[in-house]
Amino acid sequence: MFSKTSLATSLGRLVAALVLALVLTTLIVLIAGAPPLQTLAILVVGGLGSAAKLAQAAAVWIPLVLCSSALLLTFAAGLWNIGIEGQIILGAVFATGFLRPFPDGGSFLLVMGALMAGMIGGALWALAAGLLRTWGRVHEIFGGLGLNFVALGLTLWLIFGPWKRPGIASMSGTEPLHPTLWLEALGGSSLSPVSLLLALTVFLLVAFVLSSTQWGLRLKAVGQNQDAALLFGLNPQVRILEAMVGCGALAGLAGALQVVGVYHRLLPAISSNYGYTALLVAMLASFRSQIVPVLCFFFAVLNVGSIQLPLQLKLDSSLAGVIQGVLVLSFFLVQGFEERFRVLRRTE
Amino acid sequence: MRIEFQDIHKYYGRVRANAGISLVLEPGRIYGLLGENGAGKTTLMRMLAGHTQPSRGRILFDGESVGRLSPSRALGMGVGMLYQDPQDFPALTVWENFRLGGRRRDKRNAIQRLQELGDRFHFRLPPEERATELTVGERQQLDLLRLLDLGANVLILDEPTTGISVTQKETLFAAMNQLAKDQGRTIIFVTHKLAEAEELCQEILVLRQGRLAGQLLPPFRSDELVDLMFGSESGAGGEAGPKLQPNKNPFLSLEHAQLVGEKYALSNASLSIRPGEIVGLAGLEGNGQELLLRSLAGLTRVAKGRIIMGGEQLQGLPYVRFRQAGIHFFPAARLEEGLFPDLSLVEHFQLAFPTARGNPVERLSEEGIRRFRIHAQPFASARTLSGGNQQRLLLALIPKQIKLLLLEHPTRGLDQGAGKLVWHHLAERCRQDTSLIFSSADLEEIKTHSHRILVFYNRRLVADRPSQSISVEEMGRLMAGQATAA
Amino acid sequence: MDFLALTLAGILSAGAPIVLATLGETLTERAGVINLSLDGTILLAAMTGFVLALLSGNPWLGLLASTAVGATSAAAVALLGLALARSQLAVGFILTLLCRDLAYFLGHNYARQLGPELPVWSIPGIRDLPFVGPALGYQSPVVYLSLLLTFFLWWWLFSTRAGLELRAVGEQPWAAFTRGIRVQRLRITYTLLGGALVGMAGGAFSLAVKPGWGRPQGAEGAGWIALAIVIFGGWHPLRAALGAYLFAALQVLGIHLQELFPMLPASLFQVAPFPVMILTLLLVNVGTANWFRDLTLRYPGLKKWLNRWQVTAPAALGRDFRPEKEA
Repeated sequence: MFSKTSLATSLGRLVAALVLALVLTTLIVLIAGAPPLQTLAILVVGGLGSAAKLAQAAAVWIPLVLCSSALLLTFAAGLWNIGIEGQIILGAVFATGFLRPFPDGGSFLLVMGALMAGMIGGALWALAAGLLRTWGRVHEIFGGLGLNFVALGLTLWLIFGPWKRPGIASMSGTEPLHPTLWLEALGGSSLSPVSLLLALTVFLLVAFVLSSTQWGLRLKAVGQNQDAALLFGLNPQVRILEAMVGCGALAGLAGALQVVGVYHRLLPAISSNYGYTALLVAMLASFRSQIVPVLCFFFAVLNVGSIQLPLQLKLDSSLAGVIQGVLVLSFFLVQGFEERFRVLRRTE
Repeated sequence: MRIEFQDIHKYYGRVRANAGISLVLEPGRIYGLLGENGAGKTTLMRMLAGHTQPSRGRILFDGESVGRLSPSRALGMGVGMLYQDPQDFPALTVWENFRLGGRRRDKRNAIQRLQELGDRFHFRLPPEERATELTVGERQQLDLLRLLDLGANVLILDEPTTGISVTQKETLFAAMNQLAKDQGRTIIFVTHKLAEAEELCQEILVLRQGRLAGQLLPPFRSDELVDLMFGSESGAGGEAGPKLQPNKNPFLSLEHAQLVGEKYALSNASLSIRPGEIVGLAGLEGNGQELLLRSLAGLTRVAKGRIIMGGEQLQGLPYVRFRQAGIHFFPAARLEEGLFPDLSLVEHFQLAFPTARGNPVERLSEEGIRRFRIHAQPFASARTLSGGNQQRLLLALIPKQIKLLLLEHPTRGLDQGAGKLVWHHLAERCRQDTSLIFSSADLEEIKTHSHRILVFYNRRLVADRPSQSISVEEMGRLMAGQATAA
Repeated sequence: MDFLALTLAGILSAGAPIVLATLGETLTERAGVINLSLDGTILLAAMTGFVLALLSGNPWLGLLASTAVGATSAAAVALLGLALARSQLAVGFILTLLCRDLAYFLGHNYARQLGPELPVWSIPGIRDLPFVGPALGYQSPVVYLSLLLTFFLWWWLFSTRAGLELRAVGEQPWAAFTRGIRVQRLRITYTLLGGALVGMAGGAFSLAVKPGWGRPQGAEGAGWIALAIVIFGGWHPLRAALGAYLFAALQVLGIHLQELFPMLPASLFQVAPFPVMILTLLLVNVGTANWFRDLTLRYPGLKKWLNRWQVTAPAALGRDFRPEKEA
């Protein structure tokens, strides 16, 4: 799917893509009738301008890094785990479900339990998509996407049905958790040091597993050539399920952290599309795991900064997504042209 | 039409396929284009048909250059090419295949024209049938009629006799003679089979390593042709394998098995194998030998009957259990089915020998690379290797202790030297009591290396004989369904 | 009787955009190209169509703009996925997200405004017939267009020379190339044409079936459903249209269900089609799984029953084609 290139080449392409993306974004902002410079300034200042903003960006960075790392596993195995959105949601659902019997709070062990529950929830949802693929021959893009919507439906049903707040059922979610079940956050922000540490650990762990373990090598082998993997006795179907379950567990962890660390309840939009954004990050990184944290930070700043757009310029906050998408397309464009050029030069 | 090649060169990346070829083809003659696998025959013809462009040099038609040749321009000049695997559309019907890229005709008209042309050459093709239902020979006939309908007066036939029966071959040769002699068309017959070229052609062109090695007129002398094809170090056939130990009992047997593949089934197959035995499988593509190999490897279903190895029943068990029992499968499609294109040689060794860790893996790889004469760096990716090196890498990756090695076309696409090396390693395995079952389209190869030969026809096993009691000619007849098994 | 006819009218109307999108993608995939961007493209086309109709006062101009947006998005697939040989799946997926966000961003100021709609046509001769009249006699032009296109594409794909070449390119591009067919050019053409139909589906939403623009518009998810219906339809226009109408029937049924459970949010019913989508894909694909093959060896009746549902994709679907590489 993606070819191997050196880190320097990848970075060079990224910079070129960034410039191209900037030009295209400016055009789009002009079409919307907004001042481009001011818009970009708001995005950057809105995401980096103060300690509070920075903390907010870091809080977004956590689920992005968790999900992008998770996706490195499935991408290595040649899988398009679009179902990651649903896996985040199921993590949040399982974590909430685990903590619901304790309305009066409890110890930190319960929070740990909730994180475990979240991982199990995400893993199960991913397993479903994996089984649909290996056992039912349904492509993981369709299986995963369908399950995303089912997960969304499940959340809505829970919030408006069995888990509704006493008296009023609304889009604002379930009854908040008892404060002893919240992950402690840095003063006034929603950034939890525990989450930060977890995200960093997970990233390093995944990078190590993929570069230096036999299991990581097997995943890559399956991703490259399933037929050969079968002949090598690598059991590709089982490896695919493992990669899915691993990815789902980490996505579930991200979802659980959103519950205990950020929102303290289950919301209909608990995943905030982080799964889809992480897919963009993973594609942009094209297997270069080293640059994942940097890309995630950049995307997080855009996400946080874009919240200011409706307030200050009456623009829709989806500009962050536009820039991210344009950036990945530009990257593909640069990469494609460069390879084309190289082929032309070689044949001459 | 007179065709002239002027100093044609063709490179694929760093690989040179053709170098400095200049020659002239006159109308009304049948030319043989001879050379071993990889000599550059197909590449040269593809350039004439406009399917690829020369890196340097030009092709003149009646002394004139027509610029960059595309397939449609070449067809317009009257050049048509038939491939070894017919380039058609299995999912479409015969008449749709006939019409595609051809003259504007409605369905009725197309079917009528198809039958008219077919009658002339005694080809019988059902117009409403899907192409996938036809034999390779029939698909070839269909493609030939399509080109004739287009008015092709230069016909290129690339290894046309590989996948077809003896009767079909005779019909084809008759048609070729008719086209050249009676209608003044130029025919280029690409092959690596001496006898066929000598039988049919008025002139033979020999390619070796991308260059024109010779241009001969009848009477042809086989030894001269062989010399030109292979150079001085020739001597076709190769050494025979080790003698079979007579007193060993079979360790594996297949009993009344019905084997079910993607496209067809093979019924009531029985077979037993002794340690160190080499069994060659002969048959036209799609007649059952592939299915037998894959079933014994545990890759396809066994619907009925049993596979017994060392007292254990293997049928229905997953592939991994076959592997654990000491069975290894060696696929024909090296890069597609056997290797991981972007992984390095070292990584391949690490996957194949998972118990060796860290440094030993690199030592192991270096040893393997040296012992199997793989010309590549340990950290090069499999994609960058040549065909021969890929084949040797696959050989090097076979585990040490195995009982049965199943090989699909072990030397397909390799030149003679590389092929010899492969058989050298395989013979060594046999001396250590590993049994071999292999398929090949080259009957000489089967005859030379096997202790026992199985022949397949029409999805049945029609003969199971010791190698010394069956000749190449008899194999050919059995494969074409012309004799019953003794 | 009248109730039935009106339900049928509702299904034909609700199904029209899905039919258009499904036909468009069927065309593209028959040429061997996957345009995964449907869900985003439909939204962007819906927004553009609505906004242009609003600004110009002419809904037809809006529909034209939608079509152009669809073709433009497909042009991105053609440029990156075909000319520059990037992964078609990757490009399509990015476009899905990008077009959706772009639609929300650019359409922000036009949300929840009243704009022009395509007129309802009443067809003389048909409108007075019993039953058929109420079902088919008074409909939006996009409904008639979707019906006509279904039959037109069916005829065109299987009975014309160009249709034959299209199928050939999606099946065996190399063989098509050696016959002088310009593979890459045809693929690009059908990607653009298919994209145009997908864009028209967006306009059909915002100018007829679910008029107006907003976040959400109501067309969210429709693109994914259309992609699944292409598979269910076995890349055949008639079967694909049938699939689209079955889906629309489910939607209409969902509206009735919603009336029975007023306490549940509307968005819950919007996700209802997706489990159906998964089950459908399972039904048409499971026949190729090994365990299922084993099962059919034991119970041949099962195979017979399932064979009716099985589909085969164009053999070269999603694969890059470069004559120099094949040689």
